[in-house]
Amino acid sequence: MMRVHYRVLAITLLSCVLQGQETSRASEIEAARDRKQASLEPDVPNKWEQRLIFVKEGKVLERLSAGVAGFRLQIGGMPTGSGFAIGPNYMREDLGRGKVSVNAFALGSTRLWTKLGAGVKIPSMAGDRLFWEAAAVYHNYNSLGYYGPGPDSQESSRTNYAFEDTNIDTLLGVKLTPWLRAGGSVGFQHPNTGRGKDERYASTEDVFGNNPRVIGLKEEVDFLRGGFFVEMDRRDSPTGPRSGTYVTMRWDDYRDRELRRHDFRRLDLEAQQYLPLFNKRRVIALRGRTVQTFTTEGQTLPFYQQAVLGGGNDLRGFRPYRFHDNNAILMNAEYRWEVFSGLDMALFADAGQVTAERWTFDAKNLETAVGFGFRFNVRNAPFLRLDVGFSHEGFQIFLKFNGPFAQRSLASSSAPHIF
Amino acid sequence: MMQHMGRFLFLAAMLAAGHGEARKFYGDDPLDREPAPRDASNAVRRKISDYYDFFQQTFAPPGERHQPGKPIPAQAVNTLGEPMDGAWYEKRHYYRPMTIEELVRGPGNGNAPDESGPWTVVKAKSEGVTPGFEFIDARKRRYVLKFDPLDYPEIATGPDVLVSKFFHALGYHVPENYIVHFRRDQLELGKDVQLTDAKGKVRPMTDRDVTELLMRVPRAADGRYRGGASLFLSGKPLGPYKYHRTRRDDPNDTVPHEHRRELRGLSVFCAWVAHDDSRSINSLDMLVDGEGAKYIRHYLIDFGSTLGSASYGPNSPRSGAEYVFEWGPAIRQFATFGLLVPEWAKAKYPGIDSVGRFESKKFDAAGWVAEYPNPAFTNRLPDDAFWAAKQVMAFTDEQIRAIVKTGEYSDPRAEEWIANALIERRDKIGRAFFSEVLPLDRFEVRGGELAFVDLGTKAGMARSPGYRLESEVTPLGYRVQWSEFDNETERKTEIAEARTPRVPDSAAEYLACDIGEGAKTVTVYLRRRAAAWDVVGIDRRW
Repeated sequence: MMRVHYRVLAITLLSCVLQGQETSRASEIEAARDRKQASLEPDVPNKWEQRLIFVKEGKVLERLSAGVAGFRLQIGGMPTGSGFAIGPNYMREDLGRGKVSVNAFALGSTRLWTKLGAGVKIPSMAGDRLFWEAAAVYHNYNSLGYYGPGPDSQESSRTNYAFEDTNIDTLLGVKLTPWLRAGGSVGFQHPNTGRGKDERYASTEDVFGNNPRVIGLKEEVDFLRGGFFVEMDRRDSPTGPRSGTYVTMRWDDYRDRELRRHDFRRLDLEAQQYLPLFNKRRVIALRGRTVQTFTTEGQTLPFYQQAVLGGGNDLRGFRPYRFHDNNAILMNAEYRWEVFSGLDMALFADAGQVTAERWTFDAKNLETAVGFGFRFNVRNAPFLRLDVGFSHEGFQIFLKFNGPFAQRSLASSSAPHIF
Repeated sequence: MMQHMGRFLFLAAMLAAGHGEARKFYGDDPLDREPAPRDASNAVRRKISDYYDFFQQTFAPPGERHQPGKPIPAQAVNTLGEPMDGAWYEKRHYYRPMTIEELVRGPGNGNAPDESGPWTVVKAKSEGVTPGFEFIDARKRRYVLKFDPLDYPEIATGPDVLVSKFFHALGYHVPENYIVHFRRDQLELGKDVQLTDAKGKVRPMTDRDVTELLMRVPRAADGRYRGGASLFLSGKPLGPYKYHRTRRDDPNDTVPHEHRRELRGLSVFCAWVAHDDSRSINSLDMLVDGEGAKYIRHYLIDFGSTLGSASYGPNSPRSGAEYVFEWGPAIRQFATFGLLVPEWAKAKYPGIDSVGRFESKKFDAAGWVAEYPNPAFTNRLPDDAFWAAKQVMAFTDEQIRAIVKTGEYSDPRAEEWIANALIERRDKIGRAFFSEVLPLDRFEVRGGELAFVDLGTKAGMARSPGYRLESEVTPLGYRVQWSEFDNETERKTEIAEARTPRVPDSAAEYLACDIGEGAKTVTVYLRRRAAAWDVVGIDRRW
């Protein structure tokens, strides 16, 4: 056995010697080819690479996103405090030869919040001059936070309430220029509130039930609403802006058709400015936003229709829904810098206040927060944001799947903090 | 018996081991062309994942790398250090200067799509970042048709055409690319064309799909669309090549790609034209018929993300300066809150949509990198860079301007900016890489003396004392020493007083001439042929 083994080895070595005795460069190359020829094998990717090829070529992510026959699983899509939300979603964008899209969903969360909705959109009509959409949404959020009215509410007075509403809205808009849109909407809202289900905190009606400034508890109201909007978007990218300006104004008139006690009007103004530095690798982002509400004599504003501050989209050092009142003003400033092409970091400062009186704020008592954030992006479009905000009430950590200055849809069918 | 066998094996092993060092030059050196290729018709199409490639190259770099103090010289070169003509490369402009007409023609300019008949759309392009089609023209030739992004007309199609001409002149196999202008009615939909939409759904393609795709690309005032049409390569596509190891099913592919000079040197060419997208996915192996066999020829494809373009818009200003992800810069930016602004972020761009982010002032030739690590680029040594730089420097201003013109930019400022930037980047490449080695080349024995061209001096770089220009053969500024060279033992025996360019009298078959300046030396080997001497080999040290 050993002898045979040695003979094989000897032959191999001899062949090596003979192979080495090339008489030309060409034969040396041919010898290398001989050796390669003897060991040819299919050049197949390893298993990991094969899987990634399958994911890409099979458009697995796109298919998961698109679902089967329009059906897919939706994860997220509820406001802060809902817990983990998941549910079926039906979406088609190929109807009417691709001109019409429809969307319907039913979301439930680990805190037993519910959101149901359906909508239809025609994003481009009349030679891309007009757009139209209609939506119906039902919310049942059983433990929204409430700390009392006004800027002086106490963190320790946290309560929770159940909020339920049904909304039907339609919107028609015109694209005046590629960057200027305007339009109007009409809709219906049927809200009501009830006892909060989060037993860690008192129910709002138990603490604030007798507070004359907390209006609308345990009421059922039917609102008809109509309004108009103007939107100017001169940003370089709507998904991950690094330069340009964005301004929007929305006016809504709410009519209480049930109790005739809560007619009000609401003005939303927002401006964003992005100042690029160093080829847009540094950006100073500024935002100003205000909500002003108007009521006539004898009419009052339900607390759940009030302006709200606090949370990952505005005052980031405070808990979500921390401040409620009739009006609000908010200012944000961010310094963003690119760490690498898939990650931006930011230092931010937020200031805001809710007020009972319109167009007033007490500069000395503005609520302020500072913090830092990480924004992960693909081709400059953020898909994950981690913001850590600090205020005199401690710190908050927000993990969000939207950009820092997220806007609600123009046709949003509910108050912005619960859209 | 066992003892005898052991002795025999030891002897055989010694012979085998010793033999590799026995002979430096063969009779057929230097080879100008690779031996005729072997049949590779059993090779099958291979796919790669660009995501896998990114993660592998970034976090677990494959391939063989230099060890400290043990650089691995480039392979697949002849004894002059030049890649041989063959499946990877053809010696072109530097070696046999091309006319402006030849440079502009590139790999061919006689196969533009025939506009006398309809272009039949046979496939929607689902890969890549810009929309596109595959179509067949009236002469049954198949093309890939790509477009510019809506807001940046000409930013991708211009580079796709003009950069292909540069790479052709630099010796690579590239497809024929054409700028085309057409109206909607030039396109007609073929039969049973399937479309995979953005959500992965496969369905029959309709005329409306064609129209809608065209709505996403720029349209000129005269109603025509501009596209980049790339003629299908002849042969059978076998997928991209990798920049490390060899292709396992190709008998002719024997040198690990990370050690191929034309791939190491490619990094310099990519730096020149800002081809940071120079990764495997933008290469293509084709099984072609030729030289008596079906063999694999290796192509560079898709130059839409060169110059200032990222195909879908302007390239990132980081392009070429840092990898997409790199620990060092990322930690610096993290730790300094972005206050440490890198130089690349301060670059000034022309603000011309069709140019994007392409410039020359902040361009760092030696520090340039692709989007993510490329093993062949990482393995580049000074002699690899010199090999590439001498080819870049061979382009005159006039030639560069002529090639840039083939990008057919409607804004003359764009053409001017790009040409000027390429000229300045060329000069920076010369300065960066000619200074790493002794930049002497084009050696020959003329009039009994060793003649050469000092490329550094020719490029206007600062002269060492005594430098002489091209064809003036006395390298007074250098240390020169002739030796007799034993080809079997590779031993050199100095010839006393032979310290000028004049070839000394000697009966030896081989002579070696060491030309040095500090640590940088070039050893030129001559072989006797009858009464004359031929340059048979060049070694560079630095």
